Amino acid sequence: MVPLLEIVGLGYAYPDGTAALQDVSLAIASGDRVALLGPTGSGKSTLLQHANGLLQPADGTVVVDGIPIQDDTVRDVRRKVGLVFQDPNDQLFLPTLLEDVAFGPLNNGHSVVEAETLAVAMLSELGLAGARHRAAHHLSGGERRLAALATVLVSRPLLLALDEPTGDLDARSRRRLVHLLRQRPETLLVATHDLELARAVCGRGVVLHEGRVVTDAPLGDLLTDRDLLERYGLAADLSD
Amino acid sequence: MSFHHLDQYATVASPVTRMPPTARLIAVLVLAVGAAALPLGAWRQLGVLFALVALLATVARLPAKLMLVRMTGPLGFVFLASVGLLVLVPGDPLVRVGFLQVSDAGLLRFGSVLGRAIVALGAAVVLVTTTSFPELLHALREIRLPKVVTTALGLAYRLLYILVDEVERLQRAARSRNAGAGSARRRRVLVGVAAAGLARTFARGERTHRAMLARGYRGDLPTLSEQRWDRRSVVALVTLVTLVGVTTVSAYVGR
Repeated sequence: MVPLLEIVGLGYAYPDGTAALQDVSLAIASGDRVALLGPTGSGKSTLLQHANGLLQPADGTVVVDGIPIQDDTVRDVRRKVGLVFQDPNDQLFLPTLLEDVAFGPLNNGHSVVEAETLAVAMLSELGLAGARHRAAHHLSGGERRLAALATVLVSRPLLLALDEPTGDLDARSRRRLVHLLRQRPETLLVATHDLELARAVCGRGVVLHEGRVVTDAPLGDLLTDRDLLERYGLAADLSD
Repeated sequence: MSFHHLDQYATVASPVTRMPPTARLIAVLVLAVGAAALPLGAWRQLGVLFALVALLATVARLPAKLMLVRMTGPLGFVFLASVGLLVLVPGDPLVRVGFLQVSDAGLLRFGSVLGRAIVALGAAVVLVTTTSFPELLHALREIRLPKVVTTALGLAYRLLYILVDEVERLQRAARSRNAGAGSARRRRVLVGVAAAGLARTFARGERTHRAMLARGYRGDLPTLSEQRWDRRSVVALVTLVTLVGVTTVSAYVGR
């Protein structure tokens, strides 16, 4: 079976020459729910941006649903991979929530009426229908996070890539988001420091360290390996 | 920071807020153009147009104090820009203040400029107070303002609030480490905050562009259109336009 996302020997360096990803290989099958774990600067966000085609590999290949990412395929790939950025403010750039959510469908060729219908339905699904004519700065942090998610889910991506989705959420909003993610049918790739979120939502863990994949294992095994968590700066226990 | 207060009156149910934003925008443009087209000294007609603005504000349930506060700043500029007319326009002397002489023609011109400005600004305040920015943007699109302008305005609107938040955070962080500093040091810190704010703006712009690309952006910003025209709005707008037109034309008839 062809993986939904297949990354082989991916290498990428920032413009200043710093290696961000080195020889990364990873395959995610349809229906997988993968947590991408690693300390800050380990390359998680860079990897997510490669999955969506925002960055193109310097070395290696990235293939999404059988389509290798290249200049002429990148638009097709972006329809299949929905990327939710770390800061919702980056993602909510239009004057109203409705316009923000309709932005993807309009770009994908839907008519104005279809795009609006899809956007309203998606906002209703996430409990944000009442806020559709509001601007993002009138929303709470939790609502903003859900709205950013709505802007991507509305295009029905096959793979949902989330970058630190619980970074700025309070406990209630975090619970709401976890509940939502558990019910989503999309294949998930979640870059996070939040081991509780990873445990609640994902079944598989991939640890990135200094731009390399150092572990790829069932999350249950990974989270009970205290040595591994400490070695890669993932241990959340603050008692010692 | 909460920004709810800015659109407070845009959500108040009233006949004005029930009109489509485009109708509100056209009404304001007609009032402003009507006032600007009046000849000098058409006080009665200025009074009628002012009464129309006051009626709109009342129907929209806008408190008089709010109207005055929002008009004061722009009116100050108009006052400063036009006060020179009192002494610069030649005519029969009315009053002498030191070496300056106020002429009757100067007073006429100054009064007319101020009167027109009061009508136009009053109408503009009714519009921006009863219309949220997104609605205003829709209206500007519907009257066919170039798309590049409305797109830039829309993006700037969102970015502005984000930047205000970021600069406030930077300022708070700077103040928290700056207790007891002298004014020179505080000024230096302020320059640092401004520079950091600018750098963050660029970074934010870059990230927003990526977020747009990730959702299929290809250089053209597609938008939804929203039409809420009903018969009552059309009748209200036509009535207003007719009243303003008749008032303005009446100022020229029989002169």
